[in-house]
Order: sequence, then structure tokens, then C-alpha cells
Amino acid sequence: MNQTASDIPEPIERNISEDPLNDPNYKTVGEVTSPNAAMTTKNVNVHYGNKQAIFNVSLDVGKNEVLAMIGPSGCGKSTFIRCLNRMNDTIDACRIEGDIRLEGEDIYSRNMDVVLLRARVGMVFQKPNPFPKSVYDNVAYGVNLHGLSSTKSGLDDIVEDALKRAGLWDEVSDRLDQPGTGLSGGQQQRLCIARAIAISPEIILMDEPCSALDPIATAKIEELIDELSKRYSICIVTHSMQQAARVSQRTAYFHLGKLIEVGATDIIFTNPSHRLTEGYITGRFG
Amino acid sequence: MNPAALIQRGLARRYRAEKRFKAYGLTAIVCGVGFLVFLLGTTFLNGYTALLQTYIAVDISIFDSDFDGDLGPESLSKGDYPGIIKRSLREAFPEATKRREKNELYRLVSSGAQYELLEKVVENPDLVGKTTTFWLLADDEVDVYMKGRIDPAVPEKNRRLKDRSIAWIEQLRNQDRIKRSFNILFFTNGDSREPEQAGIIGAVMGSVFTILVTMLLAFPIGVAAAIYLQEFARKNRFTDLIEVNINNLAAVPSIIFGLLGLAIFLNFFHMPRSIPLVGGMVLALMTLPTIIISSRAALGAVPPSIREAALGVGASPVQTVLHHVLPLAMPGMLTGTIIGLAQALGETAPLLVIGMVAFIVDIPGSPMDPGTALPVQIYLWADSPERAFVERTSAAIMVLLLFLVAINGLIVLLRKKFERHW
Repeated sequence: MNQTASDIPEPIERNISEDPLNDPNYKTVGEVTSPNAAMTTKNVNVHYGNKQAIFNVSLDVGKNEVLAMIGPSGCGKSTFIRCLNRMNDTIDACRIEGDIRLEGEDIYSRNMDVVLLRARVGMVFQKPNPFPKSVYDNVAYGVNLHGLSSTKSGLDDIVEDALKRAGLWDEVSDRLDQPGTGLSGGQQQRLCIARAIAISPEIILMDEPCSALDPIATAKIEELIDELSKRYSICIVTHSMQQAARVSQRTAYFHLGKLIEVGATDIIFTNPSHRLTEGYITGRFG
Repeated sequence: MNPAALIQRGLARRYRAEKRFKAYGLTAIVCGVGFLVFLLGTTFLNGYTALLQTYIAVDISIFDSDFDGDLGPESLSKGDYPGIIKRSLREAFPEATKRREKNELYRLVSSGAQYELLEKVVENPDLVGKTTTFWLLADDEVDVYMKGRIDPAVPEKNRRLKDRSIAWIEQLRNQDRIKRSFNILFFTNGDSREPEQAGIIGAVMGSVFTILVTMLLAFPIGVAAAIYLQEFARKNRFTDLIEVNINNLAAVPSIIFGLLGLAIFLNFFHMPRSIPLVGGMVLALMTLPTIIISSRAALGAVPPSIREAALGVGASPVQTVLHHVLPLAMPGMLTGTIIGLAQALGETAPLLVIGMVAFIVDIPGSPMDPGTALPVQIYLWADSPERAFVERTSAAIMVLLLFLVAINGLIVLLRKKFERHW
């Protein structure tokens, strides 16, 4: 199946289901497609054994867009984001149905190499997880793995560039040979971001990247996300609505495995269409 | 009553329980240490004397007539050395005239002394035609007497060393012609029926080759099996079955593994008997479950975030394991290997079954030469009737313990090298 610009998105139904959780044919409110999509997903269902975690979610990630995913705990946003670079493959009981395409290529097809996919779709995890190696080796690992630099000086340049873009260079340039695990939490998370961007991905997935960080480190990461969106498409899962409002252009609201509403961030936070979205952002539950 | 008072009332009981528990723990440790000290202490007290060996000085006259032919190396090595020694002893103790007395006299010196004499004469042909004082290896009974382990008060018929021999020994002692010096033979000789000539090096080499084979087989196979089961195999009935079987195998008595080795390696593949290669293979089979179980535990203890991090930057599953998980799990795997190898090193039963209990004098030079192992040597010596083997048994135990400490030390060093913190 080829996705072309001529595919006109289906018109969205305006009648909003009041009970999306019991409606098997629930249609997300808002524009799920993106005119300039880096990644498209259609009718994604995810099962863990007998339990279904994601119901029929379709959502595109636009190029150079920051897409925030919010929702109460257990709503499936982390599961969904992990489908986008097939991190769920490592879980035996996990079964994924649907159509997920990166630049038109089906990432779950036989032809898709999962190593290449993960190089093109980088990931930053909830808990900073630097390798127990030096700062330099942490960033250089992926570069060496994929053979992106044939010379030592080229590698040095890539590492320096990645650390600079992650806003960490000034803090670690004099201790590149120190263990990455010895940095502070916020520095570790930026190191993980540097590690992800060192291999020049097209999309960066961030799974609650600031949940383990203090407000100052969080502010730095948010600044960084802003900066990174000039070059990359970013998907960020977050529990903090303020953070979603600050960094993203589009916001998707998940609830119990269903994508309830998607829209421009300012609209979602000021004038949500669905009562569940409204309930969540106004703090009535979540 | 308010909560604070309620808590107060129970406090004394809680502290008593705590004290009691501490006392139990302390008692357990004292018992454990006590047994250990007792074991090591008795072993050392019994064994340290094996480090010394008695020698007797005898004036030995060697004549041309003791040799046939031209006195060249060939002729010298064929000389009648037992005759030379006996003649010299008779000259030293002319009072021994009867046949029985003479035989008793000859028994003061080890039957191995002739070979030492031979070596010296071949090395230095000038000794022929002269009278020289040689320190000859004493018989084991003389050695035991010199170490004070034979009580002359015991009735003569109850001991192998007779009164006459004791009188001679005392005479030699008064003349300063008997001495004890470092027992180098114990560390350079293979096994022997004569305790004074028996050495440990054959068993040490046998153990070295056996453990080497065990380590080279069990560690890579065990680690590879653990990695596959823990990191790659899907969880299903088949892998569950394998897991249950591995856990059960770890508890199978070692003699069963010995019989398995006998049936497969010796009877089916017709490999030679008594060789450390087969011993090592049998012990590897026995050690595998231990290594697999502990390696899996070590792999399981590596935080999943490290795997995700590696997969997230596009490492393949094998790269993830080899670059990140394995180095972090290595210390734990090595701990399991220590336990497995220590167990294998002390294992006797399976080696008996595959023939490593044979009496082998030659020192094995490769895993393909027949040999024995330290625990089997201990078993053989402990089973021998000669008094002098008692101290050698203890000395062999000390060598085995040193060997164990050396292997553990090596692996602890390796573990330190791999240990990383995250």
C-alpha cells in the first residue's frame, strides 16, 4: 500500500461518542493524519497475551513536529510509542496488529530491518539509562555500531556535535573519559539524548523523559526538545500537561487504550472537544 | 491506653528477641569457625612433617669390580648398586651377621636409594674406586620413628620397626649420621608404593589437566547455554522442560556422571581409560548445571534498562548481549564457575569410575597421558597401611586446598577485572 499526497484524509465525524470505552467503533476526535507525515499509524491494536492494551489507534507523526501523548497511567501511551520502533518485539507475549509506516515503509513487514529501523527511530527512556561506560563511549557506541565514522577524528566530531546539541558539552567536555553513570540524573538523560541523536535518527521517541528529573533539569530538556524539533520529529509521552503544553505542537489524549482526541496543542488545552479530554486536563481525574 | 504506651510495652520483648537472634547467629559462626579451625589444624599438624624427610649418612666404597666392562656410562648405569649399598651398610654395622639381622639392616635404607646413587655415579665416574659419604634416603619406618610417631614402649611384636633397628638408628643419631632435610621428593615424584618415594606432582598435574579440560568445556558451553535460555529462547513448554531438567541435573550424585562417562566416553567412543581428558569431560558434564543456573541468575540480574538502551540505538540482540549484558553479568557467571570448579576439583567418585584411580607412577605430561587427581590420590594414600602415608595424606590435602585457593584467587582476580558499577 502506498501512501501518497493525493490520499485525502477521511472526514472526521463530528458526532462525538459519549462512551468511547464501550464503543468498539469509536473514532478519535480531531485530525489524526498529518499532511507531512514522517510516520503513519493506522488501526493499531496491541495485545499482551489475552489483554488488549491498545484499541484501533491511528495517529500520524508530522515532520519536525513535536507530538505529545498524554493520558492517565495505564492508558497505553507508552505501549503505543514503543510500537513505533518495535521495542515491544522484546516482549514475548506482545502482539501488534495494524499498519505502521515510516516514510511509507511498513515497519512490521519482513523487509524492514529492525536494526535499521531503530537507527532511524531513536528512543529516550523514562529512566536515564546510560551504559556503564565513559561519557564518550556512550555517545560513540551507536556511531561505531553502525559504522557512521571511519576515522577517529570523525568520531570525535560526531560525539562533540551530539553532546553540543544535547546541551551537555560544556558540562562534560573535560571528563569525557569518566563513567556516564557518574553524571547527575539530568545530565544522564541529556547524555541519553546525545546518544540517540549521534546516529542522526529521523524521529526521536521520548518516553516520559523528565519523570525522574528535577524542575531545573526538566527545563533544560524541554529547551532541548524545542531545539531538536528543528531537525527531528519528536514523539513525547508525558504525565505533565504543562510540559505537553510547553513543548508540543500537537497533543494526543489516550484513555484506557483508546486515542480519544488529537489536535493542536493550544486547542486541546483551551478548548477540548471530548468530555474525557476536558476532564483530564482540568484535573478531574488522571 | 495510648499507642505510645502500647509500643513501649512490647519494646522489651522485641529487644529480647533481637538479642536472642544475634546470639544464635554468633553461635552458628563460632561453631562453623571452630570446625574449620579444627579441620585445618589437624590437617596441618598431621601433614607438616611430610615436608621433612630423613636421610642416613653411609660411607660407600665403590670398586671397579662392581661393574662389568669398561666403566663407560653404559657400564656404570648397569652396576650392582643394591649390592654396593648393602656391603657398605654391613661395613658400618659389622654386628649384623645373621641373615635376618642383615635383612633388617638393609631395610634402614629406602629401596629408592640405589637410583640416587646410580645417578651420582653416572654423573661423576671418579667416585669409582673411592670411599665417599653419601646421604641415602631412609626407609619410611625410620622416617616415622625419627618424627617421633613410633613409641618404643609399644611391645616389639606390635610394630614393624624392631628394637634392633631402633638401636641402630639411635647409634646413627649419636654419630650425627642421620638428618632430616626438606622433602623435595614429595614435590618432584609421582606416586610410589614406598611412602618415602611417593610424591604429589603426578596427582597435581593430573588435577591441572583435568580442571583445565573441565574449565575449557564447561565455562563456554555453560555460558552459551545460559545466554540462549535467558536472552533468546521463547518461554514455552519445551524451555520450561529444559530448565527443570537442568535444575535436577545439578542435584544428581556425581557417581552417576561417572557412570555416564564410562558408558559414553569409554565404552561407546572407546577413549583411553584413566586419562585427564575423559576425567575433565565427565567433570564438565557435572559442573555444567551449576554454571548454567548461576549464569542465568547473573544475566537476569542485569537491569532491563541496559538492554533497552542498547536495542534503542540499534544494536542487534546478539550485540546487545555481547556488548552490554554479558560484561555486566560476567562477575556473577565467574562466581558460579568458582563454585562449579571447586566442586569438580574435589570430586573423586566419577574419576574412580573412569579409571583415574589406577596406580600411576609416571607424571602425566598432557591430558592424554594416564593420570590421577589430587582427591583420588588422597583417597589412595588414606587407604594405604603404611604409617608414613598418614602424614602424606594430610600434606596432599594441604596441596589440594592450596590448589583450590589458587583457582579461586585467579577467578576472583578475573571477576574484579570485569566488575563494573552502574
